Order: sequence, then C-alpha cells, then structure tokens
Amino acid sequence: MASQTPAVVIDNGTGFSKLGFAGNDSPSFVFPTAIATKGGPGGAGGSGSGRPAVANKPSFLTGGTGSGGALSSKRGTEDLDFFIGDEALAAASGPGYGIHYPVRHGQVENWDYMERFWSNSIFKYLRVEPEDHYFLLTEPPLNPPENRENTAEIMFESFNCAGLYIAVQAVLALAASWTSSKVSDRSLTGTVIDSGDGVTHVIPVAEGYVIGSSIKSIPIAGRDITYFVQSLLRDRGEADSSLKTAERVKEEYCYVCPDIVKEFSRFDREPDRFLKHTVTSPNGRSVTVDVGYERFLAPEIFFNPEIYSSDFLTPLPTVVDGVIQSSPIDVRRGLYKNIVLSGGSTLYKDFGRRLQRDIKHMVDARIRASEVRSGGKKSGGLEVQVVTHKRQRHGPWFGGSLLGQTPEFRSYCHTKAEYDEIGPSIVRRFNLIGGPGST
Amino acid sequence: MLLLDYQNVLIQSLLTERFSGAPPVSIDQVVSDFDNVAFHVSTPETKSKILISIAVKCYKELLQYGAQEVLEREYGTYIVSPEAGYDFSVLIDLDNLPADQEAREDLVRRVSLLKRNAMAAPFERAFADFARRQEEASKFTSESAPEGVREGGEVMAIHYRDEEAIYIKASHDRVTVIFSTIFREETDRVFGKVFLQEFVDARRRAIQNAPQVLFRNEPPLELQGVRGLADGTNGEVGYVTFVLFPRHLTLQRRQETISHIQTFRDYFHYHIKASKAYIHSRMRRRTADFLQVLNRARPENEEKERKTASGRTFRVQG
Repeated sequence: MASQTPAVVIDNGTGFSKLGFAGNDSPSFVFPTAIATKGGPGGAGGSGSGRPAVANKPSFLTGGTGSGGALSSKRGTEDLDFFIGDEALAAASGPGYGIHYPVRHGQVENWDYMERFWSNSIFKYLRVEPEDHYFLLTEPPLNPPENRENTAEIMFESFNCAGLYIAVQAVLALAASWTSSKVSDRSLTGTVIDSGDGVTHVIPVAEGYVIGSSIKSIPIAGRDITYFVQSLLRDRGEADSSLKTAERVKEEYCYVCPDIVKEFSRFDREPDRFLKHTVTSPNGRSVTVDVGYERFLAPEIFFNPEIYSSDFLTPLPTVVDGVIQSSPIDVRRGLYKNIVLSGGSTLYKDFGRRLQRDIKHMVDARIRASEVRSGGKKSGGLEVQVVTHKRQRHGPWFGGSLLGQTPEFRSYCHTKAEYDEIGPSIVRRFNLIGGPGST
Repeated sequence: MLLLDYQNVLIQSLLTERFSGAPPVSIDQVVSDFDNVAFHVSTPETKSKILISIAVKCYKELLQYGAQEVLEREYGTYIVSPEAGYDFSVLIDLDNLPADQEAREDLVRRVSLLKRNAMAAPFERAFADFARRQEEASKFTSESAPEGVREGGEVMAIHYRDEEAIYIKASHDRVTVIFSTIFREETDRVFGKVFLQEFVDARRRAIQNAPQVLFRNEPPLELQGVRGLADGTNGEVGYVTFVLFPRHLTLQRRQETISHIQTFRDYFHYHIKASKAYIHSRMRRRTADFLQVLNRARPENEEKERKTASGRTFRVQG
C-alpha cells in the first residue's frame, strides 16, 4: 500500500452513531442509529418480522404463522430496500417503512439490522472500500465477549475489512481527555461520567481496564432534563411547550449554579437574567417563550434528583464517590484525580466545577472524620479533579480518532489473516493502545 | 440502495450546510473516498474560504489523458494551485457565492463530484475519439477500410488501484472498457463469478440495450501488447469487458455513462458484500428455527431415577 489509508472510526451509540476517519477532530457523520425497512416495525424482541424470510422452509418447520413460505420465489433486491440515519427517520414518517433501533442500552440487539446498517454506513456515507482500511469500533463496558465475536464475524467475513480494533467507550473517553490542559500525564486511570440521552453511567477505569463490579448507572440523562424543562414550561403556561422547544431551551440557556437558593434570589435581583426565546414554526409564525428559573434548575436534577423524580434520589456526586469507594483501594487516588466527563449531557457550563466541589466536600468531610477518630493525626489530603475538555460531546469517538492515527495503531489491530487463522475468538483480547508498556 | 452515489456525501452535506448561511466555522477534515482517493477539506486562511483538495493515485495518468481540461471546464475560476501533498484543489469563498439558489446547488453538486470528474477525462477522450473514428469510418465500407480505421485507437490504462486498472479503447463502432479485478478472498471470487455471469446474461434475457459484458480470466485480445498484465492462471485476476455501443455514446448519454461505469468496481464489491449480509441474515434466521425445533424435541416423559426416603433406588431386574 503506497500511502496509509486513515483508519475508520465508528462509534455506534444507543441514540446516535458517530462515523469518521482517524485524525480528524470531529466525526464526519453523526446520525441516529436507526434503520428503516419495508414492512411495519418489528416486534420488540426483534426475532420475528422484518428479517428476510427463509426460502423453502422444510415442511416440519412451518408451524403456525408460516410467514416465510410465500417469499421463496422472491429473487429481488428487497434486502437492499432500507435507509439508515436521518433518512430512516424521514422514510419511517411516510408509509411503507418501519423504523428499528438495532442498538439497545449500548449493546447490539439485532445483528441483521446492524450488519445492514454498517454496510450502508461504509458504502454510502463513508465511501470506503473496507478491504483498504483498518476499523476501530467501540463497545460499551461489560459487553459480552460473544457480541465482540459477532462484530468480528461481520466485519471480517462480510466486509473483509483489513484490520479491526474494538475499544471500550469509557477508555476512549479517557484518551479523549488527554487534549485538556489539566491532564499532565497520559494515564488510562480515571472515572468516566458518560451521560448521553438515555442513561448516565459512572465507570471506573484502572490502567485501561474497566472495573466492572463498580459501575453504577443513573436513570437521569439528557432526555429527563428535556422533560423537566418541558414540564416547567407547561406549568407556566407558555405559548409553546413542545419537546423540541424544551430541547432548544435546554441546549442554549441552561447552566449549573453553585447554590440554588442564592441563584433564586439573584434572579429576583437581576431581572435581565430572565430571557426570551423565540420559536419560529415552519409556517412562519413565531412566538416568544420566557426562559426563567429552568436555566439553572434543569441541570440541577443531577445534583438534587428529588426535584424531578421520586424514585431515584441519590445525587450524582454521591454516586461518583460511592463508585470510587467501592473500587480497589490502590486505584482510588487515581480515580479521584481524573474524573472525566463525556457525552452531550455533561456540556452545561460549570457542570464540572460543581461536581468537583461537591465531591471534594464529601472527601474532605470523610478525611476530617477519620482524622478526629485517629486522635490528632494529619492526613496528606486527597486531590479531586474533574476534567472538562472541548471534545466532550463526542468523547469516545474523538478518543478513537486520537488512537487511530498513532503510527502504532495498526500493530494493535487484529488483521484479516489472523482472523482466518484463529477464528472469531481472536477478538476476545486486544492489547491496550496507550496502555502500560506501550510507550 | 441499489446504486452507489456518484458524489461524495460528506462534501455535499458540508457545503450545503455552509452555503445555507450558517455561521462560519473552521473545518479541517481528511476524508477518504473509494479507490484510495483522499479529500482534504479545510479553511486555511479565514473561516469563509473553504479549500477542497483531492489526491488520486493515478493522477499522473489522468493528466496524460486530459484531466486538466476537464477539471478546468468544470471548476473554472475556483481552481487554485494544488495544496502540498494533494493533486488538485478548489477554493470556495463563502462571501463570494453565486447569488441565486440554483447556481449554488449546482456548485455544491459539481464540487461533490470532484472525484468523478477527475476520473472522467480518459472516458471523455475515448468517446471523442470514437466520434471522430465513426465519422471517418462512415466514408468506407467494412471491406475497403484502411488498416488504421478498422483497428481502433490505442489503449488508455488507468491504474486506479494498486493491483487493478481500467483500460479504455475506442474503435470506430464501439468503445471498449476493460476492468481488471482481483479477489483476495475465496468466497468473494465465487460471489463475483455469479454476479458477472448475471451481467453477461442480462443482455440475453431482458435488457437488450445493455452494453455487452464479457468476463474471462486471461487478458482479452484488446489488451494485446499492453505490458504489466497479470495473467489469471490462478483464478485471482479476472478481466471484465464492457462494450459500449454507439447508443450509449450519444451526446446526451455520455455523462451518465461515465458516471455509471466509473462506479462499477465499487458497485460490484458493494453488492458482493450486501449479498453476504443477506445470506448471513438467512443463516441466523434458520439457526433460530432449528433451535426451536431442538427445544421442542424433548422426550415427553423422561425416566427419572426414583429414590426412597433413605436414598436407595430400585432397579428393574432385567
């Protein structure tokens, strides 16, 4: 190969897929992980309709529904009649197509759809010949090794891709934080707070390996904040309280305040803190919506969940502290020192600062208590640092892009030849890029 | 998706967004396209000036066949001197765009077709050559034609990939386009053969207007005398010949023909992969069905060992 082709980095999340080439600072394409196929939306289990039917079913198999029988004569190209991403959403709003989400809770649920989703992402959007490129894919923490093997089977056998590396999203998010000026040493130890649309995870990572037993998730994430903003708008009887408006308000005006009570009185003293948001509907009419306390109240549900939900009441800083406390004692110092944010719902202004302050309070209180108990011994203190950086939104993808452009990246990948030699089980183990012993 | 797009979707969506009047941002992206083509989209000086550069492996060959003229015709005043490491660059000034919407869309379309246009030169030259020869040949009957007219022009070779090439040859009654293809993978070769057989048969069965397609493992006669050809003795290399007849080469059809035939290789490989995906999904479905049968096939009343309270068993004396 004359010049090295850039590696392809694909991060398939539950909500959105991020696709691009290594070395770039942002993904080339970000679109929903959705696929629209002919026929109605498949059953929730995903094991029934929607898949292409098997031709010539043996007679002993045709029990009950017999949905496959009539399709035996089809030689057409029905399997290519589908859309992905934004086009899928558009197609599904019309007649004839049903929408499916092949990734649930971060894990691939329906491999048929996923295979076709990948096929279209590679050939239509990225426009690459997979035989020429190395691929870096991501997986959620605690992904079963069987899922990895399935991924490898598809990547190597269907697409013949030149090489493959599968990295854990949390580890990539740590790598992405290396761009921050606060990070002095490029270690892969730290706590990742990954808050997307559906769920928030707190994942401790030691030397590039996820401490699976300590992962905690919080059922509060971007969508909940949007709902909360919407309910505030509704309560006030605003002219427009659609979900879309709530989302715009959330993204444009929200920030994290140090103290709610003080912030309320500040709003009363400085009326210019109340803003107006103008919504222009497609038919050209525009209405203005008042934006008030929700500016700081919305992200506050991370820190005081009781204002939003009645069944989940633990604030985010307490969860993070608990996660680190449940991790092995020798890595806790590193975990406190490097708390990395990732995902769209961590982008609020001062989110990191507030989190750092709250965790610091908790840690200091604990140290003081143990100092008192020990009878006057002094502790050396503990450093708590929350790292915010510019690439937070697509953290895992950017981390993948960083690692994928390093010259040694290819030596960490498993190649097609190795796969043919050993089989799918080869992807159960990958050496850590940038981990201990690599540099 | 049956056919692949001709344009680069990223460039298209990026420019459409920029042209729509969104606030200028700095861009710096290196993206790939099929056949080892690389694009670099950047805003080197100010945020309102977008530089798009393309690197094509066979650019030297394309230049020989007149790529410069084709690109100049397409991009005219937007051309700037190529960026270091790339072969050809266009610069678009966002403050200086064509005024009406249609012209803007046309510009987006043209820029996103950069790769297609760069590769189009040899085809255009061959088609022009064909027209000239047809003109000339019409003066003679088939018997009395002098040697030069009957034989056709020289073979233009484009080594667009490391091991694969396109050969184009114009004659007085047709243009022959030959792709050399290579298959690393056993399975792909089998799939490829089936597909190519379909291409060959298509003309016989339904679509009379299709160009004639031939497939063989040895270099076809048109390529006699071309050096550096891999012979297909081990079955890895194949030669796919498209014979384009005058009806494909009319002035209205030319551009369409060029776009189609350029994407042939990628189209071909895309469909091989898509059919593998299809077969995989059928395999999964069938496995699920068989598992169901297996689960159903439990013995109805399993013989259980019966024990007394003290743990002794009774054995049937046989």
